[in-house]
Amino acid sequence: MDTPQWTNGPVLSGRGLTKHYGSQYALAGIDIDIMAGDAVAIVGPSGSGKTSLLHVLAGILRADAGTIHLAGQRIDHLGEKKRSELRRTEFGFVFQSGMLVAELSAEENVALPSLLAGLGRKESIEAGRQWLARLGLTGKEKRRPGELSGGEAQRVAIARALTHRPKVIFADEPTGALDTRTGRDTMDALLGAAQETGAAVLVVTHDRELAESMPKTVAIRDGLIATRLAA
Amino acid sequence: MNSLQLALRVLKIDRRTRTSAILTAVGVAVATGLVLLLATLPYATVNREARALWQGENYYSRNSEAPASLMFATTHDYFDGKQLTRVDVALTGGAAASTIKLPPGVPQLPGPGETIVSPALGRLLQANSPAQLGDRFGKPVGALGEDALRYPEQLIALVGHNADAMPETAYPISGFPSGQARPDGLLMLLSWVGIIVLLVPSLVLVASSARLTAARRERRLAAIRLAGATPGQVTNMVAAETTLSAGIGALLGLALSPALFGLATFVPWAGGTWLASDFALPVGLTVFIVLAIPVLVILAGVLGLRRVLKNPLFATGGHTKKPLHWWRLLALPAAGLFFLVAVLTAKDSGGITMVMAGLFLLVGSAAIVGPWVTSAVGGTFVRAWRRPSALLAGRRLRDDPKGAYRASAGIVLAVFAGSMALTLLPTFESMAGGGRSFQDPVLYVDTDAKHAPNLVSQANEALARYGQSEHAVGVGQVYLTKSENGGKYAVRALVMTCADAAKLTRFGFDGLCSGAPGIYAGQPLDPAEYRIAGEYDQAGLPLPPNTPVHVAAYHDSDLSSSLVIDPSIVPAGIVPQRVTVVAPTTDANREIVRTALAGPAAGEEIGSRDQYLFNQQTELGDLRRVTVIGLIAAGILAGCSAAVATAGSVMDRRKTFGALMAAGTPVRVLARALRMEAALPALVATIGAGIVGVLVGVGLFSMVDDRNMGIMLSPWILAPVVLGVGVALLGASVCTPALKRVQAEPLADE
Repeated sequence: MDTPQWTNGPVLSGRGLTKHYGSQYALAGIDIDIMAGDAVAIVGPSGSGKTSLLHVLAGILRADAGTIHLAGQRIDHLGEKKRSELRRTEFGFVFQSGMLVAELSAEENVALPSLLAGLGRKESIEAGRQWLARLGLTGKEKRRPGELSGGEAQRVAIARALTHRPKVIFADEPTGALDTRTGRDTMDALLGAAQETGAAVLVVTHDRELAESMPKTVAIRDGLIATRLAA
Repeated sequence: MNSLQLALRVLKIDRRTRTSAILTAVGVAVATGLVLLLATLPYATVNREARALWQGENYYSRNSEAPASLMFATTHDYFDGKQLTRVDVALTGGAAASTIKLPPGVPQLPGPGETIVSPALGRLLQANSPAQLGDRFGKPVGALGEDALRYPEQLIALVGHNADAMPETAYPISGFPSGQARPDGLLMLLSWVGIIVLLVPSLVLVASSARLTAARRERRLAAIRLAGATPGQVTNMVAAETTLSAGIGALLGLALSPALFGLATFVPWAGGTWLASDFALPVGLTVFIVLAIPVLVILAGVLGLRRVLKNPLFATGGHTKKPLHWWRLLALPAAGLFFLVAVLTAKDSGGITMVMAGLFLLVGSAAIVGPWVTSAVGGTFVRAWRRPSALLAGRRLRDDPKGAYRASAGIVLAVFAGSMALTLLPTFESMAGGGRSFQDPVLYVDTDAKHAPNLVSQANEALARYGQSEHAVGVGQVYLTKSENGGKYAVRALVMTCADAAKLTRFGFDGLCSGAPGIYAGQPLDPAEYRIAGEYDQAGLPLPPNTPVHVAAYHDSDLSSSLVIDPSIVPAGIVPQRVTVVAPTTDANREIVRTALAGPAAGEEIGSRDQYLFNQQTELGDLRRVTVIGLIAAGILAGCSAAVATAGSVMDRRKTFGALMAAGTPVRVLARALRMEAALPALVATIGAGIVGVLVGVGLFSMVDDRNMGIMLSPWILAPVVLGVGVALLGASVCTPALKRVQAEPLADE
């Protein structure tokens, strides 16, 4: 198995990734490379293994076999503590329904990763405000998630995912709970902001239209990559 | 599908609902078991006393119409600090032994010189020499059965005599005492306090368990309402769900109650443990308790449905909670004022009902004030946070103060009760003391002038026979009386020499005995104002003129009204009617001297200050023991409630926590926030409860503090608050495994 070189290789790379639940294979030996600044859609029918692939690449789940490298460094063998730190510092996450902390305001939700990383209250909140402004949420900083629309909440989640300038953003059905137009706007916001920071974006989606709008698409079926398409 | 079938279906397929139902059942079982145990305590004391009625200690109906067949006397004796009950009997009026109806457990009526003893006393008799114990009674001829004993280890002797050898205090009766036993008043009061202190944490545990899946259930019921179910149908569903868990819990509590009763039999009260059969509750009351607790839980569940029934749409989505009003704070001073007035009134009138009502109001006011305080603490943290855990905890407290307070409500009550108990107990302990004027190891027996010389000589003969150098002496009692404000003022004086008083009493006459014999007093008095009499109601004679008065600095303030008068000062013609025969002892010969006195005393109680203090300590020990047991039980229940509430708090937000952990938030950060969420209100509320507990303790004590002794606070007063916060933190520590469980679950699972 060859080791990717970061200088000119992929920012995130998986080789021979295997994951099974009981006798059922979710991933059956997948190889995948994500380049810096890439925006990749992972599509496939329910149960095909796309969310498992995202979780394995992000270190939320541990693969049964295979290796993962982030910027040339192998990360799949790290312990939970190190992987948590990696997720906190190198990755950003956007989930289907935002998964914002209901008790915190929009700016506090965005500031949360910085605060957890040990940054001061003032700097974290200020950075949060700036991200909210960049995503068009000026004036909504003090609102709680329950007081935001679905699209606004997702943009807060995007701001939260970007605030610590991650190398890779993982988005699991980020538009699943939104109408078509809001979903498109949200994806535009995500991809635009990621482009600004140079982060790669890996999106798991059922939405064919969304997938087609992405520069690259990887289709998964039965735990294996069925097709790779590049725009 | 009817409501019960639907409830069973939900329980079958939903793991978390099942967990909630199991915890609810456990909470109801604990509550039911505890209430059954506490409710049975008064009955247990009645059962105990019913067995001991024949011993005649609390028997007052002596004027029976039936002819007397027995002379009967009951006294207490002591051996090695342990109380021994002595029942002296003799046939009288020509009655035959066969005509006397024997109490259960008494195998036969002992004849003159014979004794029937309890098994525990039998063992003591075998283990000690006759001089130590056996010579106080006749020959053992039988053993008393369990049915005749107050408690299994009771030391009791049924001693047979001829009628003319009976103690002076003996009285004629037609048969062994019998009748209706009464419950122990103190234990009855404590059982009611226990029901309040333990039932509330139990119900909080039930409420916390029920809340575990409240949000989920509310959504399910709201969906059913939106699908067209009537409020009645939804109510039935909830009632069915709750009936299942609460009903099973109540039956479980009933099934476990014999085990609790079994444990309770080991806890000594008033000198001994219990028989398992003591803890018998009337069937009607048992059924009432087993039905009432689940009914309360079901009612609480149904009342909690108001929001779903009124507006199911709100229940499916979010809603804004109204902020709590500041006027909630007024509940505490209002209840405090009521309690204060009740205490002040009770000091004059003696009524306790209003004081208890005030106590109840104070306990109730915590439920009104607590959430406001929780919200205020949350607000402070929201403004001043430095770490995300403080912000998360502060917001949670601010957003759901009632829910957050619920987790610590049981702890608050336990801390309140603990602080109150730890205010009262050391004060009661500091009040312990008093007793007769004689030194602690001196044995004494009261008698009259007629029997005293005989008793002294027989006791000294016995002491000589046992090879003891100690001697018994008779100390007469006279009264110094004077007219004051139109009434008669009298003070008791012991007739003894200064040398004897220095040796036998605790007045502290060191250095006083070198002067001329006279009156020895704690404060100056004018002998010319006083007359001396052998009995309180006698006119007496004037004291000899120029009687010297020696003022001593008494060692103990409780002796200040007692005097000593030298025998040479007592005028001829004044004969002390009451005489106390006293004998000094050492640790080595105390029981031998007691035996030497017991024979001639013929059933009169032989006391000592040592024994008096020991009995006080036994009573205080009982109080301490039940307090500690009650507080430990309350602490465990409160800790369980806090743990369940914390687990519920994680479950409520499992999706958010799951996402945060997926995004790399360390479990320890979230755990710290959750612990802070539990500990902050607990800290403030327990400090408040501790202060209120101390103040209530002071108030209650002031009702009985006739001597203005004041309250005695010890550093242990802080223990309930520290333990309360510790229990809250311990309960909240369950958040770490709960979070790890959430972390292990797939993110999308719902």
